[in-house]
Amino acid sequence: MHYRFQHREQIYQVAVNRQGEGYQVMVDGQSHQVEILDSQPGKLSLRLNGKPVTLYWAGQAGDKWISLDGCTYRLEKPSPRRARSSGEPSDGEAVRSPMPAQVRAVEVGEGEAVEKGQTLLLLEAMKMEIRIKAPTSGRLRRLLVTAGQSVDKDELLAEIGE
Amino acid sequence: MGYSGCSRSHRMFRKILIANRGEIAVRIIRACREMGIASVAVYSEADRRALHVRLADQAVPIGPSPAPQSYLSIKRLLEAARETGAQAIHPGYGFLAENAEFARRVEQAGLAFIGPPPAAIEAMGDKAQARERMLASGVPVVPGYQGPDEDVVLMREASRIGLPLLIKPAAGGGGKGMRVVNSPDDLGEALTSSRREAQHAFGDQRLILERYIPRARHIEFQILADAHGTTLHLFERECSVQRRHQKVIEETPSPFLDPELREQMGAAAVAAARAVGYQNAGTIEFIVDPEQRNFYFLEMNTRLQVEHPVTEMVTGLDLVKWQIRIACGEALPYTQADLSQQGHAIEARLYAEDPANNFLPATGPLLSFVEPVGPGVRVDSGFTSGDEVTVHYDPLLAKIIAWAEDRPSAIQKMLFALRETVLLGVTHNGAFLQDLLSSPDFQQGSLYTTWVEEVFEDWQPPQCALPAEVLAAAALTHFQNGTPTSSISSTNPGPDPYSPWQVANGFRLGE
Repeated sequence: MHYRFQHREQIYQVAVNRQGEGYQVMVDGQSHQVEILDSQPGKLSLRLNGKPVTLYWAGQAGDKWISLDGCTYRLEKPSPRRARSSGEPSDGEAVRSPMPAQVRAVEVGEGEAVEKGQTLLLLEAMKMEIRIKAPTSGRLRRLLVTAGQSVDKDELLAEIGE
Repeated sequence: MGYSGCSRSHRMFRKILIANRGEIAVRIIRACREMGIASVAVYSEADRRALHVRLADQAVPIGPSPAPQSYLSIKRLLEAARETGAQAIHPGYGFLAENAEFARRVEQAGLAFIGPPPAAIEAMGDKAQARERMLASGVPVVPGYQGPDEDVVLMREASRIGLPLLIKPAAGGGGKGMRVVNSPDDLGEALTSSRREAQHAFGDQRLILERYIPRARHIEFQILADAHGTTLHLFERECSVQRRHQKVIEETPSPFLDPELREQMGAAAVAAARAVGYQNAGTIEFIVDPEQRNFYFLEMNTRLQVEHPVTEMVTGLDLVKWQIRIACGEALPYTQADLSQQGHAIEARLYAEDPANNFLPATGPLLSFVEPVGPGVRVDSGFTSGDEVTVHYDPLLAKIIAWAEDRPSAIQKMLFALRETVLLGVTHNGAFLQDLLSSPDFQQGSLYTTWVEEVFEDWQPPQCALPAEVLAAAALTHFQNGTPTSSISSTNPGPDPYSPWQVANGFRLGE
């Protein structure tokens, strides 16, 4: 059986075949002898090329988290770069909320000129103040939120254009 | 005395309500269970299935997820206490823990407040008032100004105190509204923005001024005081590793103190607590000038601290149990000379946040949380695998505490514990903590309160090369699921043969 995983920008190929009591696992063309020592939900102990390792994992095929020796790896389903959604302006810069939050203050008005790095909005989430800064210089073409309003993760807050 | 006869009879509470959530609620419930006291948890809608609810003997819903409508609702908490017949309320930290009005209403309802007397909370809660009290009691405070705070007065006082200068909300805490001013030109704007933030955070826009001490250390002393006149200090905690006034790593003993300075600061801490008639557990925070080795009273936290476990590890005393016993009228059986520090303890705070992206809080399902175990490793957490980290509350997931015979071994043990910690599904600061602990500055103990911001501002996670083991394991978890002889019991019908995720041959699709 063949599998493909994406880690950051890189796509990896893995092939698994039964071999006696264990498995032969090909990782990017290199062969490894693997024996499963213990398998529990979310936890897998292997002997890989004679060396015992224990890994913890969670998630589904499309988005798998694996932890080994204090490092966490996130494996995703390989996919072409997400295309820009059609509702977004192509010549402007979208400013989105990094997380669900409440808008505490709006520092600039629609139509005003903004400089890259300038604070546009103050959000509050989990007792923290989050400054939303202009990703680019330009003019605030659209402002979609007002103080006191709740916003979702990735919600469009404002647009900066020429 | 509003202690409902408890201080006279010394009869232990039979039932305590915990007016908090998360790891501290769990910590207090465990202490209750140990002592044979029934525990009552309270919960908001978001916490219906939270760990503290699962562990308590009783659990009472107190309102919607936003804290002002639940964990900050004095009315709902008192109703919950009455409904369940609780005799005492433990406020934990945060929420209403330092709210004198809450403490007073608890006592007026005939219940014991497991914390200090309301007057002590009030005296220390107002920074301006606290500074004056400390000055009057001979406790050193940072040169500064507290008093009528019209901008013109503050401008004049600022030039008297000199630069750099620190502006603080008089009602404040946790770094909210604080500003460091390095140039006279910035003073006006800093006063305005500090006032605005103070008004928003505390509903009180009064400000005080202090001289800013660059590269200062934050060293605090734990206090335990009973109702019979015994006030002890349980030594220090070094809390210089903080980011924007939020502590990240705490330890005891401090690598900076020698026995002489420790004794002086301990005596000042006891004097500070006595000056406000303090009872129960509290903490005197000092800032220490590393050049002159002078120390100054910063503030008193009139509650249990997040970082209390390190003190418990080196002193052997259980602070939460002592809080309960003291509230019940029991006398401390120790003198200062009975107490000592054994070994070295470090606490690291595991936060749901992204250190590589401006420390933005992270939310989501905690798919897997495996706590580290081993001799000298303690974990205080409020979550288990499957819980949801929501936007409503503090992003503290767990506190990892390591104890060993000396500082280098304690650092080593903490690094081990962090490597053994598995936390999947939510972005967290585990790798960041490991880098802090591994840095030469930390190992040498050369710490100051702006160290993290100065040295780790542009921190990026170490680029772990993806090992073959990880890919092999990922593939095997799928393979096992789709194989009849699978040792994983699963309702998954097997791999979808049409999924692009699984390709029958080895060619690459695109890049």
